[in-house]
Amino acid sequence: MPSEITMPQLSDTMTEGTVVKWYKKEGDKIKSGEKVADVETDKAVMEMESFESGTLAHIVAPEGSKVPVGGSIAVVATSKEDPQQIKQQFTAGAKPAASIASASKPGASAPDSPKPDLSGASSVKPQVEAQTIAIAEPKTGNGDHSVAGRVFASPLARRIADESGFDLNAITGSGPGGRIVQKDVVNFKPSSGKPGASAPDSSSEKRPVADVSMFAPKLASGTKTVTAMSKMRQTIALRLQHSMQQLPHFYETVDIDMEALVGLRDRVNAQLEKSGVRISVGDFVAKAVAMALVKNPILNSHYNGQTAEVTSYGDVNLGMAVALENGLIVPVLRNIDKMGLAEIRVRSGDLVDRARTQKLKQDEMTGATFTVSNLGTHGIRQFTAIINPPEVAILAIGAAEKRPVVRGDEIVARTIMSVTLSSDHRVVDGATAADFLKTLRSLLEEPGMMLV
Amino acid sequence: MPVIQFREALRAAMTEEMERDENVFLMGEEVAQYNGAYKVSEGMLAKFGPRRVFDTPISEAAFSGLGVGAATMGLRPIIEFMSWSFTLVCLDQIVNNAANVRYMSGGQYKVPIVFRGGNGIAHQLGATHSHRVETIYARIPGLIVVSPSTAYDAKGLLKASIRCDDPVIFLESEKMLNETSDVPDDPDFLLPIGVANVEREGSEVTVISYGRTMQRVTRAAVKSLVDEGVDVELIDLRTLRPLDTATLISSIKKTGRCVIVDEDYGYCGMGQGIMASVYKKVFDYLDAPIGHVHSDEIPVPFNHYLEDAMMPSEEKIIAAVKEVCYR
Repeated sequence: MPSEITMPQLSDTMTEGTVVKWYKKEGDKIKSGEKVADVETDKAVMEMESFESGTLAHIVAPEGSKVPVGGSIAVVATSKEDPQQIKQQFTAGAKPAASIASASKPGASAPDSPKPDLSGASSVKPQVEAQTIAIAEPKTGNGDHSVAGRVFASPLARRIADESGFDLNAITGSGPGGRIVQKDVVNFKPSSGKPGASAPDSSSEKRPVADVSMFAPKLASGTKTVTAMSKMRQTIALRLQHSMQQLPHFYETVDIDMEALVGLRDRVNAQLEKSGVRISVGDFVAKAVAMALVKNPILNSHYNGQTAEVTSYGDVNLGMAVALENGLIVPVLRNIDKMGLAEIRVRSGDLVDRARTQKLKQDEMTGATFTVSNLGTHGIRQFTAIINPPEVAILAIGAAEKRPVVRGDEIVARTIMSVTLSSDHRVVDGATAADFLKTLRSLLEEPGMMLV
Repeated sequence: MPVIQFREALRAAMTEEMERDENVFLMGEEVAQYNGAYKVSEGMLAKFGPRRVFDTPISEAAFSGLGVGAATMGLRPIIEFMSWSFTLVCLDQIVNNAANVRYMSGGQYKVPIVFRGGNGIAHQLGATHSHRVETIYARIPGLIVVSPSTAYDAKGLLKASIRCDDPVIFLESEKMLNETSDVPDDPDFLLPIGVANVEREGSEVTVISYGRTMQRVTRAAVKSLVDEGVDVELIDLRTLRPLDTATLISSIKKTGRCVIVDEDYGYCGMGQGIMASVYKKVFDYLDAPIGHVHSDEIPVPFNHYLEDAMMPSEEKIIAAVKEVCYR
């Protein structure tokens, strides 16, 4: 029996996905576990692997089409079936039942659902054996490009990319079937911070003296633009509106004296100089937050309103809000409470880099038990953040800056950082939140306590 | 340089070589008293007499065999075929004897002979008289296959072929005989066998063609493409065996794209042979698979429109070039 590839649920908030790119075409053989398509969810573009082996008989959802979670996107013929016959069956109006049945499910994945549902994500039928049928290739003569996970690039494009130090994975192909061709590589501009790019970083050295384009208005006077919101933007809108309307937020702010910690950070970094790892204040804060959460597990919880249950976790999976050009994403550093500062630095740096290029895997964006949002680097002294349900609290971190404070009867300059905890009052009370902040403050003001 | 017809260039080549070397002679159907079926040999009987220009019976097997025998004995025959399609009845003489005698005699005999005549589709001659024989001969070691596309090339290449000590398959077209170009009257004007001609240098795509196809459609298609801003490098092969792979490879390496145009069938055709000869060497330089414009895989129709439709056209060439250029 032919099997369907259905739109998987790649994140717990995903209700539909867009097929961005097919790596296979009808008639291609595919193996279980092989990358077949790129799917854009509300959060990122992710690779979709086939759970089936066989021949891709029919692409139901061509590139660019939106499909609800569980909806059919392709049909796979087994080795004993004629793919062309299967395609005819499926195009003749015999709509697969599964696609309609599960297509009406989006409302079910309410934001309060406590854990990401992966098991039921797609119609997994991994029993079909690898097959060796040889059906005559369709007239497009590119049947030789069927190796799993391959980037299709012309040999010339491949060579130029190699010589230029470009990663082909970062380049979008404009040729048939997404083949990367010469002009794609020649016109490719590597994003900054991407290693291997040979393009010299001229921004610091050769800044034009009289370039006034930066002063030009982004929108000319008298004009206006109407922009359709991206999937990500729509998701942000939906979820934060829901959170703000449904969750009774309350806020507590505390000023933390960071002098000791900044001094410690400098000494640690001096020791670490050879290793190339530089610990930031933010890393210390993340570590301290994790430790404070272990001591106050009620804040490290998920709330399920439907079952009236609070699930507290013994491990801290810290979500870290990362700003993108037009949106934000929250990569998750799992088990951060078990990590040392160097590991936190390396892993969070990697997650943030990949978040910015939308290269996060699905399990790196889900399952946070608590979230921090840090606008300190943007010069924000203090702000409030909106809780990301089913989490019950979020910490807004401001800039560590010199401020005049009273010590004894003196006014002195100290490095102060204000943090504001937003809590869901259905789960957390004011005193509970205050206990957490007190723990956090003592850990940061006396960082030696992190060793205790 | 005088401007003369393709047929006049052929005649001049034969006449000059016959004047230069008394061992050279011409035979074929109606080459003498009728002055040639297509008037290529017009006046040659009168000039050289019936010992050196003579008519043969309608038996290609007989007179091509006669020619091979004469060549092994030291003469330098030129055999005119009314059509290369007729040589399917004398393959034994050309493939077995002409191509192999030198090898099988351990070099005791050589076969300095030129077989020449019209090849390919020449307008409403029907399926059996429209064969393109280049791959039949270009695949045989021991043979040389030459295919000129201008009067200039015809003269220089035919003279070189007559002076060549190995059997040469010289492919003309009835439809090219009226074409004119500047042709040198220098009796020692020769064009080297085995060297392709880069007719136009370009940077974006290499177009390879030869013979009648070159003259009929390829040049015009390339001109349109160049007018559109596609910087085409156009190569006329001139010789199909030995193939000038060095010129092709360096051109394709430079442009990164290639389209081959010929009137042969696609499968096992001349274009596929050319492609296979260069693919390995140019693979890492290609931005697209090599394109190939060829005739449809059908018997050649008598009907004018159908015949036209099965052959490479300017439109097909332009489309193929744009495809490999991703335009």
